[in-house]
Amino acid sequence: MFRTCDITGFKVDLQSQKLIKVNAVFAVISLLLAVVAAILLVFTRYQPVHLLGAEWYYRLVTFHGLNALIFWIIFFEVAGLYFGSTVVLNSRFCAPRLGWIAFGLMAAGLVMSNVIILMGKADVMLTSYTPLKAHPLYYLGIILFAVGALVAVILFFGNLMIAKREKTYGESLPLFTYGLMTAAIIAVITLASGAIIYIPTFLWSLGIIDNIDPGMYKLIWWGLGHSSQQINVAAMVSIWYMVSQLSVGGTSINERISRSAFVLYILFICLASAHHLLTDPGVSSAWKVWNTSYAMYLAVLASMIHAFAVPSSFESAQRRWGYNKGLFQWLSKAPWGNPAFSAIILAIIGFGFIGGTTGVIFGMEQTNIIVHNTIAIPGHFKGTVVIGTTLTFMGITYYLIPLIFRRKIVGFKLAQWQPWLFFIGIALLSISMIVLGQLGVPRRHWDSTFSGAPFNYNFNPAVDFFWALMMLGGVLAFLSTLIWILIVVFSVTIGKKITGPQDMQLKVSPLAPPAKKHKGFEAPGTLILTLIFLLVFMALFFLNWKWLAATWNVK
Amino acid sequence: MSLFSPEEGWYHKKVSKDEKMWMVIALVLCIMLFVWMVLWHVYGRQNPSSITYRTNTVEFGKLSDAYVKQNMVGMDKGVPIVRPQPNSDVFVHAQMWRWSPVLIFEKDQSYKLHISSTDVQHGFSLQPVNMNFQVYPGYDYVLEFKPTETGEFKIICNEFCGIGHHTMIGKIVVIEKDEDLKQYGYENLKKAPDTIATQNSGKPLSEAEMVLAGEQVYTLKGCITCHKTDGTTIIGPAWNGLYGKEEKVIENGKTISIKVDDDYIKESILHPQQKITVGYEKTPMTTIPLTDEEISQVIAYIKSLK
Repeated sequence: MFRTCDITGFKVDLQSQKLIKVNAVFAVISLLLAVVAAILLVFTRYQPVHLLGAEWYYRLVTFHGLNALIFWIIFFEVAGLYFGSTVVLNSRFCAPRLGWIAFGLMAAGLVMSNVIILMGKADVMLTSYTPLKAHPLYYLGIILFAVGALVAVILFFGNLMIAKREKTYGESLPLFTYGLMTAAIIAVITLASGAIIYIPTFLWSLGIIDNIDPGMYKLIWWGLGHSSQQINVAAMVSIWYMVSQLSVGGTSINERISRSAFVLYILFICLASAHHLLTDPGVSSAWKVWNTSYAMYLAVLASMIHAFAVPSSFESAQRRWGYNKGLFQWLSKAPWGNPAFSAIILAIIGFGFIGGTTGVIFGMEQTNIIVHNTIAIPGHFKGTVVIGTTLTFMGITYYLIPLIFRRKIVGFKLAQWQPWLFFIGIALLSISMIVLGQLGVPRRHWDSTFSGAPFNYNFNPAVDFFWALMMLGGVLAFLSTLIWILIVVFSVTIGKKITGPQDMQLKVSPLAPPAKKHKGFEAPGTLILTLIFLLVFMALFFLNWKWLAATWNVK
Repeated sequence: MSLFSPEEGWYHKKVSKDEKMWMVIALVLCIMLFVWMVLWHVYGRQNPSSITYRTNTVEFGKLSDAYVKQNMVGMDKGVPIVRPQPNSDVFVHAQMWRWSPVLIFEKDQSYKLHISSTDVQHGFSLQPVNMNFQVYPGYDYVLEFKPTETGEFKIICNEFCGIGHHTMIGKIVVIEKDEDLKQYGYENLKKAPDTIATQNSGKPLSEAEMVLAGEQVYTLKGCITCHKTDGTTIIGPAWNGLYGKEEKVIENGKTISIKVDDDYIKESILHPQQKITVGYEKTPMTTIPLTDEEISQVIAYIKSLK
C-alpha cells in the first residue's frame, strides 16, 4: 500500500511509514530518559549542589550513557535506514513483519537493561569493563537490542535489493541512501564486535565462563563502542546532504568525491578501538600508532572531505539561486528561519570545531596521556555525538513531522530558536568539560573534593569557573531538549493535519538551477571557512603538544 | 542529488579547483599527524611504554606486599611510605580504593614503576602534572617516570572502580635533597617492625608486637580504605571500640545480634558476605586473602583500639 506524497512526490509505503514512526517515537523516549539523567548528573558534579549520592550518581551515569549513546541514536538510525531505503527510493518494505520483530527485540532490550540498571544491579558504566560485573539480564538486554538492530540493518539491505530489482530509482543510489548504506555496512561490523564481546560476558556473568581478560574485553568492546560512532557520522553526514537538497536544492558539487569519502569510513575504521588503548598496558607503541592511523588517518581525511563537500553543496546551490555577491552572501541569505537548516549548519560547526579537532588530537598516542579518562573525553564526544549527531537528528525531525507524521509543527517560532539554544548549551558544556579535563578533572567521578579519602587534592582554582559554565551549558541544553521533545510530542498528537504543500512551514526547495560555466573556484566561501578550521586545528594541536611536553618524562 | 539518482555523467565530472586544493591540504595534514607521532618517539620525552608483563592478582599482590615490607620507611595516613633508589623497580599497587605505597622520588632521576591492580581496572592519574594511564588486573605495566619538578603530587583514580572510587587517592613526593623531606612532615621516617625477622627467630610475638604487626597488616592490605580507627565511618564500621561490641548483622536475610569476638572477626575476613553489619549492606566487603597469622595479628590490633 502506497501513498504519493503531495509535497515531495515520493511514493510512501504505508507499512514502512508505520515502522519509521514507531522507531522514531522510541528514539524520543530514550532521549528523554537520557536527558533527565543528564541534568541530575550535571547538578551532582557541580559541587555546590552535589545533588545525588554516590550510588545513584554512578547508576545514572550508566543509565545516561546507555540511553543517549545507544538507544536514542540507534532507534533514530533505524528509522532513518527505513526512510532512506523505502521512501527515498519510492520502494516498498521487504518484510514488514520482520520489521516489527526487530522493533520488539530492541524495545524489549531497552526495557530490560534500563530496569536492571535502575534496580541497582548494573552499576558498571556503559563500558562495563571487566572484571566489573553486572546482572546477567543487563547484558542480555543489550544483546536483544543489538540483535534487533542487526535484523533492522538486514532489512535495510533487503529493501535496497527490492528497489534495485524493481528499478524504483534511476541508475545509481541517491547520495543520501548511499551514505546510509555505508552506515549500515559499518553497523554490521560493529554489531558483530558487540556480539563477540557481549555473549561471552553474558556467559561469564552467569558463571559459565571463568574469566574475561580485561585487555581483550576493552579491545573488542570498543570495536562496538567506537565503530558505532562511525555509523553515527555516516548517517549524520548523509542527513547533511539531504538537508542541503531539501532546504536549498543543493547537492555535493562532486558526488564521486563524496561517495569515495563515505567508502573511506568503511575501509579505515576497522580498529577504531585502538584509540581507547593508547595509554593501556598490553599493546605496544607500534601497534597503537599503526592502528590509530594506518599511516595516514584516512577516516579523518574522509571527514575533512565532507567538511568541504557539505558546506560547498549549500554554497554552490545558493550561488546558483543568485546569491553570488562576495564570499559569504550565500550564507547570509541562507534560510536561517528553517530550523532544520540552522540545526544542520550548527551541527557542522560544532562537530568540526569542537568534536573533530579534539577527537584527532586526543586520539594521537602521546597526547592521549594528558586527557585519557579525564572529563575532556566526554567533552570531546559531546562535541561529536551531541552537537553533531543529536542536533542533526533534531533538525531533520522538523522535516519528518510534516512529511512522515503529516502534522504541522506546533510552536514553530520556538522551533526556530531551539537549535541555537541547544548549540549554545552543548558548546558551553562541551568546551568547559574539555578545559576541566585538561586541568586533570576525572570523568565518572562522584566527588572532586575526595571526601573520606586519606589525602586530598585541590584542582587548579580555575576549575570553579568552568564547573559553573558547564552547569549553565547543561541547563540550557536540557531546556532546549525538553522544548524539542515537547514540540515533537505536541506536533504529532495535536498538530494540525497536513492537507497539502500550503501547510508546509519548512520550505522544500526545488533543485537549484544548473550551473553556468564557471572558471576557478566553485565554493570560495567554503574554502575560506575550511582554512579557518585548519588554523584553529593547528593552534589546538600545538597547544596540546606543548602541554604534553611540559609533563614528566615517561617511557 | 542527495535524494535522487545523480545526474548523468556524475562519475566523470571534473573535481573543482578549490575542492582539489582542500583535499591535498587535508591529506598532507593527515600524513603529517602520523609522522609526528613517530617522530615524537625519537625526539619526544613522553611516550607510553610498550613493556607489559603478564601477572595475576595473587602474584602481584604478593610481589607488591613483599616490596613494601622490605622498603617501607614510614607511614602516612595509614599508607606505607617507600623511598626507592633511583633506577630501581618500584611496585605500585592499585586496589579498591587506594594507591600504595606513598613514594618519595628525587628530581631528574628515573624510576621504573610496575603498576597493576588486584581487583578491577583503575586509572593512574598523576596530578597536577596531568599524566594518565590505565591499570588492569593481571597486567604489570612498566612505566619509567622521570620527575622534572619537585613538590607534592597526587595519584587520583580516574577509572570507575566501585562506590568508593572517589576516595582512591595516592601520593608522590619529589625532593631535591634530604632536607626537603621536612616540608612534607617526613623528617622522622623509620622502619616498621620487621615481622618476618621476628617470626624467623622462632619466638612467639608479644602482645605489643602482635598489635604492631596487626597495624602493619592494616596498612599493607589497605583495610584503612574502609575501616577507620578514629570513630568515623565511610564505607565500613570503624575499628575503635569494635571489639566486644554488640552488633546487628544480617545473615541469610535475617537480622541477628552478635558479639564482636575473635571468631566473628575471623569469619568476617574469610567470608565477608556471610554476616553483613546493618547499615553497610550496600558496600559489602571483598575477600582479602590473609594468612591465619595475619588474621590473629589484625584481631590483636582491633582489640588494642579502644
